[in-house]
Amino acid sequence: MQSMLTKFESKSSRAKGIAFHPKRPWILVSLHSSTIQLWDYRMGTLIDRFEEHDGPVRGVDFHRTQPLFVSGGDDYKIKVWSYQTRRCLFTLNGHLDYVRTVFFHHELPWIVSSSDDQTIRIWNWQNRQLICTMTGHNHYTMCAQFHPKEDLIVSASLDQSVRVWDISGLRKKHSAPTAMTFEDQMARQNQQQADMFGNTDAVVKFVLEGHDRGVNWVSFHPTLPLIISAGDDRNVKLWRMSETKAWEVDTCRGHFQNVSACLFHPHQDLILSVGEDKTIRVWDLNKRTSVQSFKRENDRFWVIAAHPEINLFAAGHDNGVMVFKLERERPAYAIHQSQLFFVTKEKHIRMYDFTKGAESLSMVSLKKVGAPWVPPRTLSYNPAERAVLITSPADGGIYELIHLPKEPAGAVEPTDSKRGAGNSAVFVARNRFAVFTASTQTIDIKDLSNASTKSFKAPVPINEIYYGGVGQLLLCAPGAVILFDIQQRKTVAELPVAGVKYVVWSNDGLHAALLSKHNVTIVTKNLEQVSTLHETIRIKSATWDDAGVLLYSTLNHIKYTLLNGDNGIIRTLEETVYLTRVKGRTVSCLDRQAKPRNITIDPTEYRFKLALINKNYSEMLQIIKNSNLVGQSIISYLQKKGYPEIALQFVQDPATKFELALECGNLEVAVEMAKELDRAKLWTRLSEEALKQGNHQVVEMCYQKLRSFDKLSFLYLVTGDTDKLNRMAKIAAHRGDFTAQLTNSIYLGNIEQRIELLKELDLYPLAYVAAKAHGLTEECEAILEASGMTEEDMHIPDFGAPAQIAQPLVPTYEANLPLRTRTQTVFEKVLLGEVEGLSLEDNAAAANGLDAEEQAGANGLGDLEGEEEEEGGWDMGDDDLDLPEQADDFVNVGGDISGSSEPDLWARNSPLAADHVAAGSFDTAMQLLNRQIAAVNFEPLKPRFLEIYQASRTYIQASVGLPPLVNYVRRTVEETDPRRVLPIIPQDLEYIKTVELRKGFAAMKSNHLDECVQIFRGILHTLMLMAVSDQSEVEEAQRIISTATEYVLASSMELERRRLEEEDSESNVKRILELAAYFTKPTLERPHRQITLMNAMRLAVKYKNFNHASHFADRVLANSNAGPNAQKAQTIKSRCARSPTNTVDIDYDQHAEFDVCAASFTPIYAGQPFVQDPFTGAKYHPQYRGEICRISQVTEIGAPASGLRLVSS
Amino acid sequence: MDPFSSEGELLNIHNAFHQGQFSTVVSTTPETFSPENQTTAKVLIYRARIAQGEAETVASELEGAEEPELKAVKAYAEYTVGNTNAAQEIEALVESSSDNVTVQLLGGIVLHLEGKSDEALALLSKHQGNLEAVALIVQIRLTQNRTDLATKEVQAAKKWANDSLLVNLAESWVGLRVGGEKYQQAYYVYEELAQQPTSSNARTLVGQAVTELHLGRYPEAESGLEQALEKNPADPEALANSIVLGILAGKSVEEQNVHASNLEKAAPSHPYLTDLAEKSELFDTAAARYTPKIGA
Repeated sequence: MQSMLTKFESKSSRAKGIAFHPKRPWILVSLHSSTIQLWDYRMGTLIDRFEEHDGPVRGVDFHRTQPLFVSGGDDYKIKVWSYQTRRCLFTLNGHLDYVRTVFFHHELPWIVSSSDDQTIRIWNWQNRQLICTMTGHNHYTMCAQFHPKEDLIVSASLDQSVRVWDISGLRKKHSAPTAMTFEDQMARQNQQQADMFGNTDAVVKFVLEGHDRGVNWVSFHPTLPLIISAGDDRNVKLWRMSETKAWEVDTCRGHFQNVSACLFHPHQDLILSVGEDKTIRVWDLNKRTSVQSFKRENDRFWVIAAHPEINLFAAGHDNGVMVFKLERERPAYAIHQSQLFFVTKEKHIRMYDFTKGAESLSMVSLKKVGAPWVPPRTLSYNPAERAVLITSPADGGIYELIHLPKEPAGAVEPTDSKRGAGNSAVFVARNRFAVFTASTQTIDIKDLSNASTKSFKAPVPINEIYYGGVGQLLLCAPGAVILFDIQQRKTVAELPVAGVKYVVWSNDGLHAALLSKHNVTIVTKNLEQVSTLHETIRIKSATWDDAGVLLYSTLNHIKYTLLNGDNGIIRTLEETVYLTRVKGRTVSCLDRQAKPRNITIDPTEYRFKLALINKNYSEMLQIIKNSNLVGQSIISYLQKKGYPEIALQFVQDPATKFELALECGNLEVAVEMAKELDRAKLWTRLSEEALKQGNHQVVEMCYQKLRSFDKLSFLYLVTGDTDKLNRMAKIAAHRGDFTAQLTNSIYLGNIEQRIELLKELDLYPLAYVAAKAHGLTEECEAILEASGMTEEDMHIPDFGAPAQIAQPLVPTYEANLPLRTRTQTVFEKVLLGEVEGLSLEDNAAAANGLDAEEQAGANGLGDLEGEEEEEGGWDMGDDDLDLPEQADDFVNVGGDISGSSEPDLWARNSPLAADHVAAGSFDTAMQLLNRQIAAVNFEPLKPRFLEIYQASRTYIQASVGLPPLVNYVRRTVEETDPRRVLPIIPQDLEYIKTVELRKGFAAMKSNHLDECVQIFRGILHTLMLMAVSDQSEVEEAQRIISTATEYVLASSMELERRRLEEEDSESNVKRILELAAYFTKPTLERPHRQITLMNAMRLAVKYKNFNHASHFADRVLANSNAGPNAQKAQTIKSRCARSPTNTVDIDYDQHAEFDVCAASFTPIYAGQPFVQDPFTGAKYHPQYRGEICRISQVTEIGAPASGLRLVSS
Repeated sequence: MDPFSSEGELLNIHNAFHQGQFSTVVSTTPETFSPENQTTAKVLIYRARIAQGEAETVASELEGAEEPELKAVKAYAEYTVGNTNAAQEIEALVESSSDNVTVQLLGGIVLHLEGKSDEALALLSKHQGNLEAVALIVQIRLTQNRTDLATKEVQAAKKWANDSLLVNLAESWVGLRVGGEKYQQAYYVYEELAQQPTSSNARTLVGQAVTELHLGRYPEAESGLEQALEKNPADPEALANSIVLGILAGKSVEEQNVHASNLEKAAPSHPYLTDLAEKSELFDTAAARYTPKIGA
């Protein structure tokens, strides 16, 4: 039974009873030695022991919701325990012999027990009473269990029978009605009386006979009407029941000793049984055939239990308990770019597309791969061949190479699969895979036909192989990981990491995470260790974020680790999952049912840490501004990493903020917080820090707050602030603090005051000495007189000249002493907006740009309508140029297609000028342009011609000695039919829209008109040689052409006006005003139109054309009636209203419809004759016919043309 | 045993030569090979030295050599430095010993370069299972725009030499002309070579980048070309393709000019440059046919 996985084992005396806790990773084990153990099987620790029973304890059960468990033993006692208070709550006495099993009811406060006294008893554990005794078995009852849903009990006895009991009567009796009528009471009494004799509470429903010996165990199926029983006749019997009868279905034969216990698999169609033959056996419920069996050397099995929720079982034997799983729950999966290939529970291969969030149909069924009930272990995917390698532990390890169908069409059997024996198999190259066979320790390199091309021994004993980069393998040995070069068959690098089970490569292939049971080790592609971390809980899976953050899952958490080893928890998990990908806030994973799932996470913390490490301040700023990144962990992290100033940004709590501010020496914040908190301790600490920084203003404030007058005085003394010192003296006097007064007087050097003070205190000798020392003889005498002493009474030592108090040289109190400088970190500067290019304004600007873009789109639509009208009015002329015919001619030229070069094909396949340029056929390209848009002056198009030509050819060095091989780049990447291939044309419509147009608008906005003309003209030239995919894009291109035309025209006029203004001649005024007026005519984007209107208005006012000014003001307001411009227009309008006249007479009729001639910049009024440029559609006075269009500088005005072609078909 | 097979002793030197790792080839000592393979190894070493620009030294070293192999190498060395008689010399060798593999290969190269492609093909097709000859035929067929025949040649070679380096490479050359799914397959071949530490060099990186460029994956192609230029800043193909990519990805003209001037220094006669100059001239002649009337 190779795939049974033992998760926990304990050593003890014989285990007779087992119970799983429904939620926590706990298991209760009752032992033959009278002890009950409580284990944490996940951590492998003994949590508690309960020892009150006398003799073996045979049955235990956890309560589903309460912190209770029940036990029954050979002391005839049933005990109910609290595992919280860790003591026995009460004992239920009544059985007259050994108690074999005890079970809680799933909802009622009942316990069912079976005993060697041949009875089954039901107890109410709330009122601690025996409520029913069921008699009928005539030998020991070995087992009795409640039905999981219905009011049934099933019991097994050594009398060789299994009985099913109906206890619905008992339920009725004990579900007490709320208001009991007299009749009810009577009825109930009668019923109870009936108990005494007929036992109507619990009646035998079925007696199942079939076992030839005593029956040891019996249990119900969780959902189906089935019963399974195990007996000393070495058989496991399956029974089915209906409403009215029950019968034996089949027998599972195989145990060669007494079968102790059996149960149904909670989720799968399997039966598990254990016996004294030291085996655990697994049977197929539907076929009743043996699926697997597991034998223990020396220990007979006595009991088996299943976890109600998760896929775990426990079996008790002579020397303890083992907790195990029947199969790995990790689904086999592989990720390639945005696709996840995985094996479902039904053993189908499916593909999940992360970007679409959609799961494909099943692609292939793996039913025949490995053995039934054995899920495949690993899957390796080869995108080049669209093939997968599956390994399965069945038959000692096998692999199978399967080609996936192009389109998933359901669970079909693979057709051309290749298989072989091996324990792990991975693709190592496009057409090679490696197979490792553990028994022989050989690694075979095979090609896709499954033929071995190489075979070699592993350098040391290993367990597993993984992909190790191109041409390399990672070999996982028990104590190390080895990077092995397949070509050279040698070890490239070796890293001592124990027990590596999985390897997860980063998306860029530069790093790999080695996952062991409890360790994650990050290594480079050369197997150099980057970091490692330890987890107490088992590590399940990992996936890399694009930025190089590893996300990994344990049994119950998703965590992250950065390359440097900094790690943390992202979120807790309800159930174990296997991570497949992380993108933004979404973690994709597979759950244990092998269903793809998405979990939303908050990546802020690790992104922030990553930004911190990368010193990506703008990102940090974004995070700080946009997310509520709080919490002690990030603060302590920042503190630990030496970024208290950043931590400061997150903290709201004033106490913490104060601490951080002190740590980074930010006095302003510290003061603010200290004020808020106002605690003596904080002021003291603040004063210390401020003193260190030499900021004595803050120090002063702190001392004031602390009312530490002495320190204040001293501070004033050292800073030379005499005024304040005087004030301190007054305060001291006011407070009556003589010591302070004396100190202050000494500080001040005020001898009179000191003598006065000493006198006041009757310290005449001191006063006298002071006076004497300072030569104040009058004062001396006065003192002597006042004290009634003579000079002889004074014994004055000899002292020199009186000390003069030093006067401060510099009044330092006026400014702070910069003792300790505090530098601002880059980050703080960023926060203050001092670093260019990192402020948030940029984003605002970008956002505005976006708006403009949207507007452009909207306006463009309007333009289109106008444009179409114009086209309708456009006279195509007499020359009927039929272009398709022209194209046909081309097709007929070549004849045999093979042998003609790809460029020839391009020219043949397409009627577009651009494609002919790419083909290098400049002649025909020019002909086409000439016919389509009357292009005559090609010089400006030369860069575009060469650009297209160059962009369609690449070079690779092929055979040594020959010149490089030229290849031709296509825009039809998928196409292989030579009749339909077409060349790539650089700078597609999208590029023009997103890059060039925006550049042009920016130039306009920033008043770089020369540049503006250049950019828009460039756009026109690019569009002349362009290929688009469909009609809607053609329309879009047309819109762009007209937009560009308008901008070139507008900018050219304004440039002309400025030139005239430069000349500064009086005679130009009329023309200047006209040009300014015409400048408002072209259809520009709304904000740009505003510029032209404001310009015209300004000039009209300047030259006192108030009537026109007022007109432009109106148009400004019509364009946009809010903002400073609108206000200005309002003012001007009202001012002009006073004298609505024009001083300069100009050729501008505000009421007439007109266009502007692009050559002369004069109006073409409606009805006047004009000629148009066939490409730009710009209008000209008729005399310009035949000249080069001023806008495009390529095409001929008024020439006949068939219209630009941009779509090839 | 076929000395070029995956177990053969010449495999590494042969692969290194065709992956463009000439210094690796030169650093091998031919004496380490078994006697029957020594000449082949020597020829490869000489050819690697010629490719590294030591043609004149090689030619003088081989003065008076007797074996047809070495004579062919000598003539080829002289041909590459522009010695006019060398072509005749080789043609003479071709006449006399056309069943010698080295003569076939070098003769084929020279004939093709001389514009006698059909003769080159006739000579090369005499080979007895030589992969380089196959590769040369494929390349010549491709330059003749006979992708169909090149495909046939590769298919035939795959039958007896599946999965050798040259067949894979030749298949990708053809793939780059066929397009569609073949682009991706060509990509896989080059990617595998470019990512493997032993065979990653400018040449293979350029190959990978070009396939990606054809697939429209510009950012990936860009990083590939950058890596190639890191390995060899003067690799002509890396430079030429960088210009192409620059145009497609909408890079600034200045960047392309830098590459172009570097290319002019590295390989003044690179087909990219000659072709471009030719086309520029063509443009001017073609444009001159039109007589625009430039207004005042």
